[in-house]
Amino acid sequence: MKLMYDLPEQDERAFQAAVGEGEKRMYCLPYNIEVDRFVSGWMVFTDQYIYKILDGELLEKYKMSDLSDFATENLYGSCAFYAKEKGVSKLLCRFISGRNLPRYSVMVKACEILAEGGSKEPLTNGEPERYCPKCGRPFVVHTKICPFCQNKKDVYLKLWAMTKGLRLMMFFPLIAAAFAMAFRFIVPAVQRHAIDNFIEPALGVERGSMTEFILIVAAIVSLDICHRAIDVIKQRMAAFSGNKFTLMLRTLLFEKIQTLSMSSVQKKSTGDLMGRINNDVSVVQNFITGNLPTYFSQLFSFILALILLLWLNPLMCLFVFIPLPLTVYIIGRFWTTVQQRNVHAWIIANRTNRHLQDILNGIRVVKAFGSEEREIVRFEQYTERQAAQDESNAKLFDTVFPLLGFALKLGNYLILLYGNLKVFAGGMTIGALNQFNSYASIIYEPMMQITVIPRNISAFLTSLGKIFEILEEEPEVADIGLPIDISIEGDISIRNVTFGYDSYNPVLENINLEVKQGEMIGIVGHSGCGKTTLINLLMRLYDVTEGAIYIDDVNIKDISQNALRSQIGVVLQETHLFSGSIRDNIRYSKPHATNEEVIQAARLANAHDFIINLPEGYNTMVGEKGFSLSGGERQRIAIARALIHDPRILILDEATAALDTETEKLIQDAINKLTQGRTTFSIAHRLSTLRNADKLIVLDRGKVAEFGTHSELLEQRGIYYKLVMAQQRAALQKQN
Amino acid sequence: MSETKAKKTDVFSDEDAALFEKRESIMLTPDNATFSRSAGGLISLDIINAKGEPEHFERVVVLRSFPITDPDDYIAIREPETRKSKRGHEIGLIENIHQFDEATVSLLNEELDRRYFTPELYKIYSVKEKFGYSYWEADTSAGKVTFVLNNPSSNIRILEDDRIFIFDIDGNCFQITDPTKLDRNSYRKIEIYL
Repeated sequence: MKLMYDLPEQDERAFQAAVGEGEKRMYCLPYNIEVDRFVSGWMVFTDQYIYKILDGELLEKYKMSDLSDFATENLYGSCAFYAKEKGVSKLLCRFISGRNLPRYSVMVKACEILAEGGSKEPLTNGEPERYCPKCGRPFVVHTKICPFCQNKKDVYLKLWAMTKGLRLMMFFPLIAAAFAMAFRFIVPAVQRHAIDNFIEPALGVERGSMTEFILIVAAIVSLDICHRAIDVIKQRMAAFSGNKFTLMLRTLLFEKIQTLSMSSVQKKSTGDLMGRINNDVSVVQNFITGNLPTYFSQLFSFILALILLLWLNPLMCLFVFIPLPLTVYIIGRFWTTVQQRNVHAWIIANRTNRHLQDILNGIRVVKAFGSEEREIVRFEQYTERQAAQDESNAKLFDTVFPLLGFALKLGNYLILLYGNLKVFAGGMTIGALNQFNSYASIIYEPMMQITVIPRNISAFLTSLGKIFEILEEEPEVADIGLPIDISIEGDISIRNVTFGYDSYNPVLENINLEVKQGEMIGIVGHSGCGKTTLINLLMRLYDVTEGAIYIDDVNIKDISQNALRSQIGVVLQETHLFSGSIRDNIRYSKPHATNEEVIQAARLANAHDFIINLPEGYNTMVGEKGFSLSGGERQRIAIARALIHDPRILILDEATAALDTETEKLIQDAINKLTQGRTTFSIAHRLSTLRNADKLIVLDRGKVAEFGTHSELLEQRGIYYKLVMAQQRAALQKQN
Repeated sequence: MSETKAKKTDVFSDEDAALFEKRESIMLTPDNATFSRSAGGLISLDIINAKGEPEHFERVVVLRSFPITDPDDYIAIREPETRKSKRGHEIGLIENIHQFDEATVSLLNEELDRRYFTPELYKIYSVKEKFGYSYWEADTSAGKVTFVLNNPSSNIRILEDDRIFIFDIDGNCFQITDPTKLDRNSYRKIEIYL
């Protein structure tokens, strides 16, 4: 994220006038609100002062060494940056939260360092920029795409490169569409011949023979058949190439998402990723196989019709264009209204649906509080509103569409008027008029579409951009060139590790730890003190910011991620079982495990007894639509899953927190069996879970506060002691 | 992640209470509380606390309990958050702001207006839907603005008293106190979302 903006000219002058000799400009950020107005002001941070500049004037100047207690505060809709100047609280500036909060969060830390006379190296913020540097508008959420400044040529080129191997198939529909169009142009010419020579021959023209007439009719029919046949082939080709392309895009995207590191995946929501794989790919497919050939053939027919009209009768061609501005205006105008109405109806329908879903989901609550009557009335209000809207839309549309049809025909009326006059005067045959009129109708057709084309193109480009963005992302946690596949013994050494999800906000600071093979380490501390983060680092879901983690004296960055994770077993508090049988879930990490191994693992996890009593044993389906298991049962399956590949390192993150004491006992037994000979890290709130731990780490605000055996820590009478006492007290209270 | 965190807290909340001493929130009235402007232009508070001792706060944070429906009732007075001590404690609640004298009310309201900065939308120049976002140009009590809404149908909120709140992608909030008083063109632009 940008922390050094360029000042506008007049503000730069004001700054230059105020700044002292030898001051180093460190950061320059915008601020947005002054009293009750939106403004565009600037905060310039040098190594000695903070300058507040607005519209070419210096408003305030704060001496860095006088300041302390920097803080940002979330107000409603905006944020404020506070500090104390010689002990007096001051509001330094206010800014729009979405745009600048992450920047000012860095300033809190940065100013602290400067005020204390620390390092003068500017801090950086690794968070991605969310606003377009060119136009200042926000990027599409979770992306770096500015719909206004996107380089369209770039996207097209990438798309072109991607269609390799599919190009022929993708171009066939375009060419076929053009061909199909051409047939539409031949038919009126043949009709003209039929009318002028057979149906209504002009004066002095001999009526043609019956055989010739039948031939002409046959020609018209076969032309039509050809037209349809080409259409069928075109559609089939489009379906084929379109689906091929979609398949390719979806697979590429899914593969990429799987290889991306945890940190990049976590920045995007599941919904967003699903949207990209499903919706955005569909938008792209529809455009390429549906819209593009249509636009192409319409452009083609427009040009062809124009040439033909000019060639047939340049003067009459003019009549086609006289009402054109009016037609386009009417269509444009009505079209926007119609679309707005549709959007509105959709919003209202959506609201009804949401309400319905809300109430049906909470039906137990509604019944429990006896508020059925009230909910019925509320629902009626929603549906009545929806019905009223739908009725008014239907009325309007039924009035508007005939009018639209009329507007589209305006040109034809003029042509008919003028053409008929000419026919009466004998300057034109009926067939020629008919031909001309047919072409004129063709020219009007694309007009209906003209208002939606830009919108479709930009939707297509945005979706395509979102897809490319994922495909081009570099995983942050990557294997080194030649990663080592070691077989892990289990000695772990954490040396001077510092880590934060954001550069300015370390979650863990300077952690040092030596763990011998086979030891069980309990991790204790308040929520948010960094326990789970420490474990994420061990699994290398994230890379450490400073320091290093060694397993058997090899830096984990040198071990291939595959080798590392296949030798670590993890049991989390939230057990996610995939849809499938219990057997599939247990052997998830080792798909070719034998049935014997599966049973062995289940036994170790104390799960065998309950599984065998299920009607379908190990084949029982679980997961979203499967058999519902209790929390403890799911947990034991998860433990079996972690055990099946006989991991050397075992991680238990709150594995028993959600369970009752009896089940906990069963699982505790399982865990005790499990931890033998394995290096184990166990996070637990219930300290009794950790009574078998060899050593305990107490984390406090990202630092190791205490480290030692249970009895050592009790003697220290520190945080651990307090925790144990408090839990014993709570346990005693329960007994009483 | 957040779900698991929420579940974890329970066991420890007693702990927290034991480890840090918690301050008891009292009802603030003109009898036990005096607000004044601080040297830094913010709000200072002197109270007689629950133990009957005088206490001074150099800066307090003023919050509304019901910012949308009852802005004058149950105003919370809290210690500021800092990076070191995290969330500040609540000093007390004011049942209704008008229990205090004019000068105090305007002092508090000035701070509240700053916190609940919701410019009034007077005129909408244009609303353009593009790429699923809508781009607005409008005139407000805080000056001319351009802002972007993500998913307008869920970010334009209509209250029971017909007021309209608009939340933009940056976290700004704009309000329209009486939509019927908007001029015809502006109203037509916002109408489809209502």
